[in-house]
Amino acid sequence: MLILSAAAGAQSPSEIFAKANQEFAVGHFREAVDGYEAVIRAGNINSAVFYDLGNAWFRSGDFGRAILSYERALALEPKHPEAGANLRVVRDEARALELPKTGPERYLGSGTTSQYAVAAAITFWLSLFMAAILIFSRRSRFGGTVFLALVLTAFAGAAFAIYAQETGSKGIGLAIVTEKNTQARVATADNSKSVLELPPGSEIKILSRRGDWIYAALPNDLRGWIPAKSAEAVRM
Amino acid sequence: MSRSRLKKIAGSRAALILALVSTLCASATGIAAEATATAVLDNSETVLGQPVQLQIKVTGSASATPPQEIAVDGLEIHYAGDQRETHIEFGSRGMTNTTSVIHTYTVMPLRAGTFKIPSQAVRVGNTSMRTPELTLNVADAAGRSSRGARRNETTDPAQIGFVELILAKTTAYVGEMIPTEIRLGFYTRTPVESLGNGVELTGQGFTTQKMREPRQTIETIRGRSYQVFTFKTAIAPARSGKIDIGPVEVNPVVRIPQTNARRALPRDPFNLNDPFFDNFFNDPAFAPSAPREIKIKSEAAALEVKPLPPNAPPSFAGAVGSFTMVADAKPTSAQVGDPLTITAKISGRGNFDRVTAPSFEDEKGWHKYPPSSQFKQDDDVGISGLKTFETVLSANERKENVPALLFSYFDPVKEQYVTLRSDRIAVHIEGGNVPAPSTAGSPANPSSVPAQTPATTPASKTQDILYQLTELPKVNESFHPLFARRLFWLVQLIPLLGLLGFIVWKLREIRLGDREAQRIALLENEAAELQKKLRHTDALPRDYFSAASRVVQLKTALAKNVNPNSVDAESAATAFNADEPTRKRLRELFAVNDELRYSGGQNGASTVSADRRREVLDLLERLRI
Repeated sequence: MLILSAAAGAQSPSEIFAKANQEFAVGHFREAVDGYEAVIRAGNINSAVFYDLGNAWFRSGDFGRAILSYERALALEPKHPEAGANLRVVRDEARALELPKTGPERYLGSGTTSQYAVAAAITFWLSLFMAAILIFSRRSRFGGTVFLALVLTAFAGAAFAIYAQETGSKGIGLAIVTEKNTQARVATADNSKSVLELPPGSEIKILSRRGDWIYAALPNDLRGWIPAKSAEAVRM
Repeated sequence: MSRSRLKKIAGSRAALILALVSTLCASATGIAAEATATAVLDNSETVLGQPVQLQIKVTGSASATPPQEIAVDGLEIHYAGDQRETHIEFGSRGMTNTTSVIHTYTVMPLRAGTFKIPSQAVRVGNTSMRTPELTLNVADAAGRSSRGARRNETTDPAQIGFVELILAKTTAYVGEMIPTEIRLGFYTRTPVESLGNGVELTGQGFTTQKMREPRQTIETIRGRSYQVFTFKTAIAPARSGKIDIGPVEVNPVVRIPQTNARRALPRDPFNLNDPFFDNFFNDPAFAPSAPREIKIKSEAAALEVKPLPPNAPPSFAGAVGSFTMVADAKPTSAQVGDPLTITAKISGRGNFDRVTAPSFEDEKGWHKYPPSSQFKQDDDVGISGLKTFETVLSANERKENVPALLFSYFDPVKEQYVTLRSDRIAVHIEGGNVPAPSTAGSPANPSSVPAQTPATTPASKTQDILYQLTELPKVNESFHPLFARRLFWLVQLIPLLGLLGFIVWKLREIRLGDREAQRIALLENEAAELQKKLRHTDALPRDYFSAASRVVQLKTALAKNVNPNSVDAESAATAFNADEPTRKRLRELFAVNDELRYSGGQNGASTVSADRRREVLDLLERLRI
């Protein structure tokens, strides 16, 4: 690891990435993981690196971190086809639990948060321009008023979509269980009653933190405390 | 009627009466043979001055002779009367008529102590029966000197109530559910008003099931009557070793009877000082009392907890008890990818909170979704019931059956692990592809890393991951959503500036429009004033034609938005597209005006003729666009 870090200091991220790919190709998956992580530490945050890192974790047998890496790739590029495909495969293997999608998420899932943000910005400015035109117009314009109402409705819809996605199962609180034998418990104590056993790769939604514990929404509409070290947030 | 017939009827009646008499005699004989006698006291305990009732009940005979006098040293016993009861019963042997007589005596204690009312002889016909011997405890309570003892009886918590902690067993395994009872008893003479903070099982190293509402009974314990509250729960030890449970401490509020202070009235014409009157007030419901909180606690209990044996089966999740399992699948015919609901019902007795969904023996080729569960208990404390799990599976490939379900538990009776295995449920899953794992990127085929191409194959049905991406993108991405990035908000400055520019432009336009409107209004006003003046008959010709020319200039200026001072006859005619006669008249108007203005005198007539005015006004009216 130290050697790799020293080497990483001397090599460009592209060279480290190429070397990691070579390690992966010859079956040195742990070395490949170290290489991809070095690329990320160097500031190269993009979906391709996380996707390759997920593959390396998968080959290493660490399904939890593989799912975490794929989720990060999808967080960076929601329509990443390879990451989406591999994520389904690993979930099958890991028997990981998924958070249920909320009602709005099911209907608004076709768009990404960025797309909704652009739509919200456009409709916002359109509505302001239309309002200004109507204010300075000497005559009342029914068509303009209807158009303003439509644009405002579209803006509200886009803003709600952003809110629903950010607070939903794939939103800002999404984290992935990375440790094995993780139990969600009713209280912040190792001997408290277990709520749910979470296989590695299971999704949780972080609600709050208390010391070394995370209070999270769990699959099956449950809630519980899990050790903070057992899960990592998708958004770094 | 003939004599012989009369004799026959009389004979038959005599036979009937004889039969009835013999039947009655027979039944009387039977009753006499079954006669019993017993004696009871309505209360075996009393205090000095408070009478009790002695009842001697004779069943099966109405002619029994009870003792008229019962002599017991220290007790004054008087016969108070009798009461008869008749009980008719229709049974297989026909009608049975039973008569009982209750002879009542009043027993007035004359001193404190324990008295034996000896067995009494009751004569029934020729036979003599004896009642059982009775015991009466008389406390020295009514007198002033014995008040302390009475108070002690009703204020000592140990005398007022008790708490018992009862464990079903004293040896158990970790996680085993142990039915537990907490019994709370209160002396009926000190009725409980509230249970204070309630009943709680204290201790460490075990969990407790939620307690339900207690069952209430009246029990006689050591000759005293108690109202008993029974709380049921179950505890489950969480660790091995010796665990102390309890004691259970309760702080109930009870009503303590006040001293029987019915003082003798100095003059008592109605004999209210008769001790018999006190009998009414002996009922605790009528006795004066005051609430008081008392503290009572039970003995602690010890539980020896054994650890679960090692080598638990893989499907063991902590269930301890005795269970059975049945499984079902619906639908049994589907396409690849369609959901199947697998229902597993686990029933029995044990720690159902640790009964988790059964695992599948072989999940390969299936996608399993998180199971849901529902528990229906059939006891008070939730250690017996039925837990139903529903798991949704979808097949990734063709299947002929659902894998068997496995559920393991530890049986504390057999002291071994038990694994329940359901039968494989036959299903018919059609469609889909036979899995063909991709080897790209796998160590077995390291040289087959392909070039980056769009992934269009549905990888969800394969069991291997897609290839590596070999090109590092030049542009970095961010986990922050677009709306949280600085660039996004900087871009918003563009439409903001555009909007501000639009608003400034519109405001300037409005301001300019206002200035022009003011100018037009001035011109229109001036034109209107002059036209009004032109209609005046006494105006001088110079003024008249000057005003008319000015009106033409103003109208032209309003029509063409030009300076009115720069307007002459030609430009006015052009502005209004005037025909030649009108153009000529305009020229004449301006010429007359110039002549009058520059000739310096009042040449000609002093006023303008009416015809001339009409012509001028007509000309002005024609100037329209």
